Amino acid sequence: MNTLHIAKKEIVSALRNKSTFLFMLAFPIALMLILGLALSNAFSGSIEIGDIKMAYKIDQASPALASGWESFAKAAEKNGVTIEALPSGEDGKQAVTEAQYAAFADVSDKGIAYYDNSRSTIESNILQGMLTSFADRYNLEAAFASAGASSRNGGSGQAPAQLVKSTSLTADSQPNSMDYYAVAMTTMIALYAAINASALIESERTRHTIVRLSAAPVSKAEIFAGKVLGSTVINAIFIVAVMLISHFAFGANWGDHPGHVLLVLITEVLMAVGFGLAVGMIFRSKASHSFLLIFIQIASFVGGAYFPVNDFGGFIGAVSYYSPLRWNNAGVIETVFGGDTAPALAAAGFNLAGAVVLLAVCTFLIRRRETI
Amino acid sequence: MNIIEIGGLTKKFGDFAAVDNMSLTLKEGEIFGFLGANGAGKSTTISMIASLLRPTKGEIKFLGKNIAKHAHFAKMNIGIVPQDLAIYEDMTAFENVRFFAGLYGFRGSELKVRVEEALSFVGLGDKHKELPKNFSGGMKRRLNIACAIAHRPKLIIMDEPTVGIDPHSRNYILQSVKELNRMGCTILYTSHYMEEVEEICTRIAIVDHGKIIADGTKEQLKAIITDSKEIWIDVKSVEGLNQERLKEIRGVLSVRIEEQRIKIQSRAEIANLNDIVQQLIRDGMEIRAVEEQAPNLETVFLTLTGRNLRD
Repeated sequence: MNTLHIAKKEIVSALRNKSTFLFMLAFPIALMLILGLALSNAFSGSIEIGDIKMAYKIDQASPALASGWESFAKAAEKNGVTIEALPSGEDGKQAVTEAQYAAFADVSDKGIAYYDNSRSTIESNILQGMLTSFADRYNLEAAFASAGASSRNGGSGQAPAQLVKSTSLTADSQPNSMDYYAVAMTTMIALYAAINASALIESERTRHTIVRLSAAPVSKAEIFAGKVLGSTVINAIFIVAVMLISHFAFGANWGDHPGHVLLVLITEVLMAVGFGLAVGMIFRSKASHSFLLIFIQIASFVGGAYFPVNDFGGFIGAVSYYSPLRWNNAGVIETVFGGDTAPALAAAGFNLAGAVVLLAVCTFLIRRRETI
Repeated sequence: MNIIEIGGLTKKFGDFAAVDNMSLTLKEGEIFGFLGANGAGKSTTISMIASLLRPTKGEIKFLGKNIAKHAHFAKMNIGIVPQDLAIYEDMTAFENVRFFAGLYGFRGSELKVRVEEALSFVGLGDKHKELPKNFSGGMKRRLNIACAIAHRPKLIIMDEPTVGIDPHSRNYILQSVKELNRMGCTILYTSHYMEEVEEICTRIAIVDHGKIIADGTKEQLKAIITDSKEIWIDVKSVEGLNQERLKEIRGVLSVRIEEQRIKIQSRAEIANLNDIVQQLIRDGMEIRAVEEQAPNLETVFLTLTGRNLRD
């Protein structure tokens, strides 16, 4: 009962603290809005570019390849890409150099030789992707045709081209910028629970109320549990509020598994509370606040709070794996946009394991002290 | 019956003994004064009685039960008024008292009644909805007391409860202490103000270097000092006074200056008043009054410890 009594007091105190409201609600919402709007292009699935022209030449190609290439050229045209046969006598490479075409493809049964202009990087990348896709598809169809001939069995009776169908795995489930920053800011603010938690015990010391708590018939374990519970509940309330605001005000998508998402976030809060308490008890001064601010900022940066971490490579990319935000962001995003709950459960498991270790450290430190 | 029995109590911080083999008893129903200069060991002793610190050696019994073994029983019956204000500024007076009283297991209407009772007792009944940050120093001190008494403890430990407050609030608190005692509470009271201790305490212990060097009633303590007297000399100005020459006069034990008053402690059997007065005249002092005082608690403390209580 004393644990609940102490937890209730923590919740009431936090709800009365205007700066907590500002920090835990206004800060993530404002950042979400600013980053979500400012970086919306970075998450957009389409880009406006002008007409793309590619020249080609077919030498010594089989009828199947010639026919496939023709289909490819027609399909490309529907997507605004003009694929023209190089007029006889012209040099394709020269034409690309002179920027008459973005690229030139020399098609034969031996393969496709591709030449592009370094000044048309985006167009060239698009064409290269299309050609690769065409080559993969053609090879697959050829393999089917070959298998069908060897078995002398018509199989389904369909032409090879109809047998190959490609489906994009994530065609309709990519987060837009607001979706991404709603998740990133919420996981970041969950980590910020550590800052308030670092003062949970030490603030009782500076206010001298630790004397009353210690003189009362309440065990150190009850005081500790009450503090952890109260802090976790109040931070969870803020997290849910941020989620709801991001959903209803900015249309952020939280997917079809809100329970799993909440599980990740609440276990992250618990881990952050344990971390904050441990740091607060080790430093026993305002230095803990500064340490946590620096730590959380670095963890946020490398963990994908401001930019998707897939963009990082090298040292920062390696460091990012140690940021709690990385696994929590991944757990939530994959659950929300991939529809799979396993990543959420994995992230929650990591969080719980971290929380257990950190709270055990706190318990050890408390047991060593005469008063909490 | 003894409410507190302390035997061979020692508390060491490293090699330093803050409390050194202390033995003491407090009887039920008394207001016990605990006198000592800063660092004498008062707060450490109080902290051990309130179960805030563990003794290095020795034991403390509360109503005959060892505190270490019956901590819950002792804590339920002891209230502590810490020297530093121990209240939450962001919670109302009512919420503060309710939170701390709630730690003693009280809930619902019983809790409400006790909280209201405690706040009324300290004269904050009409301020129960206000935040302490809007209170004066004296009101905060009274709230500090209310938080310690709502669970109706048998023993209340008050550590310097009147520090830094106005005379009106101090008087209110002293009257409250007497009233709590009349209601059956035993009080363990520490203060730097000798006159407070003289006014309210029925028994007093003087602590120095972690040991009790004297204890008893005011009269018993004063009776210890039979071989010294205090001479008070009021002068127009103490400018030019040579204290060292005064101390060289036969029988003079110590010299203190309090504004325009020179307090000289001297051996009782030596007639040295003439020498003292002549020295003061030589120093250019304009003497306005001379008075010989019987020993008071301050004299006793000074004689026994060699220093002032406020040192």
